[in-house]
Amino acid sequence: MWDQVGRTLNESTFSVLSRLASLLPGTIALMAAVLFAALVAWLAGLILRRFLRSLHFDERLEAWGFTSLAEFSPRQSPTLLVTRVVAWSIVLLGFALGLGAFDAALTSQLTMRLFDYLPNVFTAVVVLLAGSIVARYLARNVLIESVNMNLQYARLLSLGVKWLVMVCTIAMALDHLQIGSGIVHLAFGILFGGIVLALALAVGLGSKEMVSRSLERESTRAASDTEEPIRHL
Amino acid sequence: MRVWFFYLLGGVDVFFGVVPPGGAGQTVESAIARIVGVDLRLKIALVHPPFTANGTEPLSVSPQWHLIANTQLAQDPSMLAQSLGDSFRAIFDVAQKTGARACAAVASDLSSTTVDWISLLLRPVVDDQYDLVAPCYARHPFEGMINRAIVYPLVRALYGKQIRNPMGPDFGISSRLLQRVAGTQHGRLHTLPSLAAEAVTNGMALCQSHLGPRVYAPPDWSNLSSLLAQVLGPLFLDVERYAAHWQRARGSQAIQEFGQPMFVAAAESVVDVSRLIDSFQLGARNLQEVWGIILPPSTQVELRRMVRQSHADFRMPDVTWAHVVYDFALAHRLRTISRDQMLRALTPIYLGWVASYAMELEHASPEAAEDRLEKLCVVYEDTKSYFVSRWRWPDRFNP
Repeated sequence: MWDQVGRTLNESTFSVLSRLASLLPGTIALMAAVLFAALVAWLAGLILRRFLRSLHFDERLEAWGFTSLAEFSPRQSPTLLVTRVVAWSIVLLGFALGLGAFDAALTSQLTMRLFDYLPNVFTAVVVLLAGSIVARYLARNVLIESVNMNLQYARLLSLGVKWLVMVCTIAMALDHLQIGSGIVHLAFGILFGGIVLALALAVGLGSKEMVSRSLERESTRAASDTEEPIRHL
Repeated sequence: MRVWFFYLLGGVDVFFGVVPPGGAGQTVESAIARIVGVDLRLKIALVHPPFTANGTEPLSVSPQWHLIANTQLAQDPSMLAQSLGDSFRAIFDVAQKTGARACAAVASDLSSTTVDWISLLLRPVVDDQYDLVAPCYARHPFEGMINRAIVYPLVRALYGKQIRNPMGPDFGISSRLLQRVAGTQHGRLHTLPSLAAEAVTNGMALCQSHLGPRVYAPPDWSNLSSLLAQVLGPLFLDVERYAAHWQRARGSQAIQEFGQPMFVAAAESVVDVSRLIDSFQLGARNLQEVWGIILPPSTQVELRRMVRQSHADFRMPDVTWAHVVYDFALAHRLRTISRDQMLRALTPIYLGWVASYAMELEHASPEAAEDRLEKLCVVYEDTKSYFVSRWRWPDRFNP
């Protein structure tokens, strides 16, 4: 009996070791591919960073009105953001190539799915980027206009508009990434509705003073026109 | 306008265009009837908006006057600068085609336009060969505040000429200046605000005429930020366009004046400065993020200090105000944020300056108000070096 146990143990040890040994070339190939990709990524990043700095990319982007991009960038530099995105994409590509060393069929399937999914990721990133720019622009516009209209809750209105657009943007991005579409739709509905209701209540309650001021101004318009001595034009 | 009409007008000496606020109607007709009663011993073509909706009802006028109705002439209160610019361009285009020696354009309310205005705007061009006649109005100290606070001091400091109303809106123009304005591509020059800058930078002869009082439309408080954006947008565009010229100009010179200077006594009513100060304080509490992009730290600190002042002690130093205007002009050039948002964000600071000015001049005489304006203009001129430095090296650290 002990002979049988010993033989079984030997067989299983041999089988595990031989499987491990069969994985070793693939693992080494994967590591080599990742290392090589990292080296290429570092080089590409270096060249790209120098190139973008020579073009004054950060300043140009700011001049073109993409000021909010700097806030999402490491050390407030869109150049660094672009460089890092490119570098990590190369590392990811190296990893995908390295996986091919294990099992060609599995890897090609994985790579196909990865490349099928990439457009969704790209679209989601673009949607997020555009959404955040639009949200900031609209929020700032609402803030300035509300202040100029003497609304005390200007900041609240501006924040509300910003989050309305951001929630909408995030829901669209998640939809593109095909992540929890049902839950996302539901959550989006609840959040969007919640924000609109909160804003409606806030504005409704807060606008009492504006309405009364407006009515007061209308009722005394004839008198104030003659009394108000300041003329801007 | 048909081509044959230009041939008909071939013998015209001067061209006179009116763009009254509030559109056409009975007032325009009666005002024009009053104007054409004047004998200037010149052949004058008068272009005006149609009196009635179904076309013009020609008035019987003496042979020296030609009346032309033009449907393009109109003032839109919601887009004042744009509509006035388009109307003026329409007038200039026709005037240039007729080969008139001079052209005058009036955009003020015609009820305040006297027959003297025509002579005061046209005679310096026809008789004394001036290229641009700018208007001078009899105003009480709280009228034309955008002009007092920003336009006049800024234009004077930058271009070195003491033009009291660089944006008119009533002008006399020579055929030489007309050619320059008409020669530029549509859209490149903003007709109304660019006239003075274009004349100064091309070395043309300028003067101003005292036209007397001018009637104003009632103030629209809710639309002030839009008004500021409409006025300052083209002005700041010119600052960018003529940067090479104004960086060389030093100090300022008075220009020849025609007519009698007049003052209007200050109104009896008291200015409600608390509303203005509240607007400034609300802006300072909420717009720090926006102002932080445009203004250097020292100006922001100064504005924050003003927020802590009580209403009775509220004052905005002229140096701070001049720096603010210069910084906004620079931000307009750099497009740090959307230009429209940036110009609208100036409104609370502008109201703060108006409050400070109104408190200083509450019981002041018109002469004291003139001295106060002169003091502000001198501050603008003294701080111009700050603007030149920031314009040339905008990225340099500015505490």
